[in-house]
Amino acid sequence: MTAPEKRLPGSVAELPNSAPRYVGRPIDRVEDPALLTGRTQFIDDVVLPRMLHCAILRSPHAHARIASIDTREAEKLPGVVAVVTGEDAKRWSNPVMTVPPGWGTHCLATEKARFVGEPVAAVAAASRYVAEDALELIAVEYEPLPAVADARKALELGSPLVFEENGDNVMLRKLFTWGDIDGAFAGAVHVVQREFRWNRLGANPLETFGVVSQWDELAGTLTCRGSFQAQHHFAMARAMVFNLPLNRVRFISHPHGGSFGGKGGARGTDITALLSRKAGGRPVKWIEDRMEYLAGGASQAWDRHYDAALALDAGGKVLGFRVRLLDDLGATAEGWGAVSAAKPLTSFTGCYAIAAAQYDLTIVATNKLPGSPYRGMGPPPHNWVLEQLMDLAARELALDPAEIRRRNFIAPDAFPYTIASGNEYDSGDYAAALDAALAMGDYPALRAEQARLRAEGRYLGIGLVNTIEPGVFDWNAYAIVGQPGTGVPEGATVGIDLFGKLTIKVGFALEGQGQYTVAAQVLADWFTVDIADVRVIALDTLSAPPHFGPGGSRLGVALTGAVLGAAQRLTEKLVAVAAGLFRTPPEHVELRDGRIGVKGRPEASMPFQEVAQTMLARSDLLPPGVDPNPEATYVWTAPGRTPADDQGRAKSYLTAANACHLVLVEIDVETAQVHIKKYWIADDCGTRLNPANVEGQTQGGVAQGVGAALLEEAVYDEDGQLRTSTFMDYLLPTIYEVPMTEKRALCTPSPFTPLGAKGCGEGAMHTTPGAILCAINDALVPLGLELREVPASPQRLWTLLRQAKR
Amino acid sequence: MKPPVFDYATPASLAEATDLLVRHAGDAKVLSGGQSLVPLLNMRLARPALLVDLARIADLDGVRADADGVAIGAMTRQRTVELSSEVRARHPLLHAGLQLIAHPQNRNQGTVGGSLAHADPAAELPALALALDATFDAVGPGGTRRIAAADFFLTYLTTALEAAEILTAVRFPMLPARTGWSIQEVARRHGDFALAGVVAIVGLAPAGAIASARLVLFGVGATPIRAAAAEALLVGGPADAASFGRAGARAAGDLEEPLTDVHASADYRRDLARVLVGRALAEAATRARGA
Repeated sequence: MTAPEKRLPGSVAELPNSAPRYVGRPIDRVEDPALLTGRTQFIDDVVLPRMLHCAILRSPHAHARIASIDTREAEKLPGVVAVVTGEDAKRWSNPVMTVPPGWGTHCLATEKARFVGEPVAAVAAASRYVAEDALELIAVEYEPLPAVADARKALELGSPLVFEENGDNVMLRKLFTWGDIDGAFAGAVHVVQREFRWNRLGANPLETFGVVSQWDELAGTLTCRGSFQAQHHFAMARAMVFNLPLNRVRFISHPHGGSFGGKGGARGTDITALLSRKAGGRPVKWIEDRMEYLAGGASQAWDRHYDAALALDAGGKVLGFRVRLLDDLGATAEGWGAVSAAKPLTSFTGCYAIAAAQYDLTIVATNKLPGSPYRGMGPPPHNWVLEQLMDLAARELALDPAEIRRRNFIAPDAFPYTIASGNEYDSGDYAAALDAALAMGDYPALRAEQARLRAEGRYLGIGLVNTIEPGVFDWNAYAIVGQPGTGVPEGATVGIDLFGKLTIKVGFALEGQGQYTVAAQVLADWFTVDIADVRVIALDTLSAPPHFGPGGSRLGVALTGAVLGAAQRLTEKLVAVAAGLFRTPPEHVELRDGRIGVKGRPEASMPFQEVAQTMLARSDLLPPGVDPNPEATYVWTAPGRTPADDQGRAKSYLTAANACHLVLVEIDVETAQVHIKKYWIADDCGTRLNPANVEGQTQGGVAQGVGAALLEEAVYDEDGQLRTSTFMDYLLPTIYEVPMTEKRALCTPSPFTPLGAKGCGEGAMHTTPGAILCAINDALVPLGLELREVPASPQRLWTLLRQAKR
Repeated sequence: MKPPVFDYATPASLAEATDLLVRHAGDAKVLSGGQSLVPLLNMRLARPALLVDLARIADLDGVRADADGVAIGAMTRQRTVELSSEVRARHPLLHAGLQLIAHPQNRNQGTVGGSLAHADPAAELPALALALDATFDAVGPGGTRRIAAADFFLTYLTTALEAAEILTAVRFPMLPARTGWSIQEVARRHGDFALAGVVAIVGLAPAGAIASARLVLFGVGATPIRAAAAEALLVGGPADAASFGRAGARAAGDLEEPLTDVHASADYRRDLARVLVGRALAEAATRARGA
């Protein structure tokens, strides 16, 4: 029998260290020297013996039957080793599993192509140049079919069907009701209802996806090196696609240049695996180029039509919140984009105590790129709708936007608080964040300046938005779209070597967020060593402990739990050995400030490294029966998670960080340009394990939020042709468009997590689009205009402004 | 995004370069800075059999400013001109215009001649050339010739240069005395091609009336466009907001259908042109008063 597991430290003060040097400090990242000197090995740096290069032929049609494919001329081109088409995919693989189920295809189009950019054939050749030359020699005979590129038209009778066998284009339709929503609206004094349109946009990591696949026919194994965000998840899916036992699939994730949910790459991985098989087991590399990424990668998300309403009483208290969402997921459900329609359940009613809510959700298929995850995973549009309605309600009730929010906040003494849609918020003080932001920006002075300049014919707008950032994702949050499972494991192995140095082994690759630094900080403070004595290394799917990796603002918390759990287990081993050496019962022995010793007897202690050295090199001194391995593994999973009920209600995301954004914009009403003049953020994500990391996450989220609010849009014409196929037309924000925000940190620790930290990777993205649009609409109030479409492009704004002139 | 096969030549002289262009008539492309051509190659939208790189030809690089104007070798990097203290001091309009071209990384690589010969209608340098009555020196199989800016830009991405002709230098005249200038544009982001832009040069009579006006619009047609009728409206009239507004309306109204794309409709571009003309004239007139 083993003793019950010790509780993990809930705060920094509980660490066995009188003076922690690292946790909670903005220390330099251990990842950066290699990154900044160009020595980090990314996937395109990988060269394997006899490696071939893949290029992919893609459908130029949004919807077309494939009558024939002739690859003979391509195969004759010198340097070409293998060519694959949908026939090979059918012979050697299965259609990919999807959420919702039944809306997936093979990695290469078989009978028909369903979107522009869908892979149709692929070549493995001696170089990428030759492979692209060979693509021009492949003759594909297409029979174009009518395409549907508009979600509303996809619902009409007689619409072209993306999957004929499914009977219509509805991937999912369900009504979720939480509380007495009809009563709330029937009893309301004010109802504010509007339609909103969020246009497609998505993740754009600096590095696109890349993979090198190797199929070993004899051993029956598939080995893939690549820029995988979640390598184990990827390996599981490939095992199913290729009918391989999971232990015959080995995934090795390489450091990669960001993901934001946009790494994708499933089709490229499967295509290179097929090519490697056909090429007799030679490794095949595919590096997705930017045009492939924009047309056929994981680059698009959140194509949404909203109709939403708030019911309020006479005092501005929100009684009910109704959302009807028509979500256009594109041609298939392969990209996990449907999850983004589910995640809003984790924080449906935002920072507010709203007793009743309703979600009327329809997900449809169209002939556009399948939707993928993107940082935030759905709440950014949802929050924008909710916060815009709060502003509209404030105007109707003649309340200040700050005041209406204050009247509806969940009270600081109400935590843990279960929201209408079922999730539980751990802790928070929302009015404190609001007050902090208002103070930073000197809100009364901003309003006075706005009034003064309006008299001069200038249009300034102030946006003020409070949001929740659900952190530490759980599969149960996505049950409504068909995702199975509760609990997401994250493991770490911590070991001490013979020379007394520490290693942390994890199952995820460097991605940019600084998690290796966090792991090293936590362990260095646990054992009271210099952080340089800790090394973090990534293992592949077959050697790492159970893991998921980064996603859903989980890894900072989950990894902290895994490292602390492993360190605690390792310490118990050291204690058992030291107890024997000191001839004292183990319960009298402890780790404190880097020494293992007898409690209350400082002279009876030794450095923890010496205990490990004894375990490895002095078996003659070891007490009988002890484990001589100074290494321990711990797999952390969020405690207390519950499966979803029939209305999708679950304890899902473990933490609820919150933030208040205050932004000042000016609209040039002649040219329809929006200028962000100032931006303030008060942010509470509990304990900040590394405040510099948090600030980077926040500022980066603001950048993507500015892109969403003003610039980024994947535009399709009515025939499903992509009109934004390069970065000339798909506009990312640059340093010139993104304001450096003024930030203030608040701290309400989480009572549920190790060290009290909360997920903090997505909060700014959750908040920024809503804040900027609220500011734009605040500026438009004197003109009697409302902009309810994102992005607020100058063309849209100009069209609206012109209406006012008429 | 890999180019198809092409040959690559680095001639050491203009004679050698024109000879190559003659021998590969119609199937060769001149490479100067590569900021437009290289992406076109990688996207396989351009597929020349031969690239003739001008990088090794002597004497195509350099900036020289004198009392009459600024002479710039065709292979001079845009950034070199932008950072030239002589240009900054003696030709502030040219200096300001160069700063609006894309980003420093592009200007480090992009050449003045490359941009002019590429003739993107939304680019700044062609508009500046037209507004300033620049002259272009070209070398071809038949010898050298000088082309006036008014004759240089024919239509979208098309100039008066013959297939085997190479632009060697451009000369931007100085602004006349008692004139003020302005270059203004609206782009989606800093450094993007303009949705609409305008170069304005205004000369004032001693009494304050408008003595001369030059207006060139860019990003709103197949070439940079001189708004001659709007200029005529201005000359002799007062330098005031009403005149500038009328000129803007006229310049915008005279445009043929501007481009519609994902960023801006023709109507929006036209309206931007109207607003920007008014603003540029006001700024130019203010500068003229201080000149």
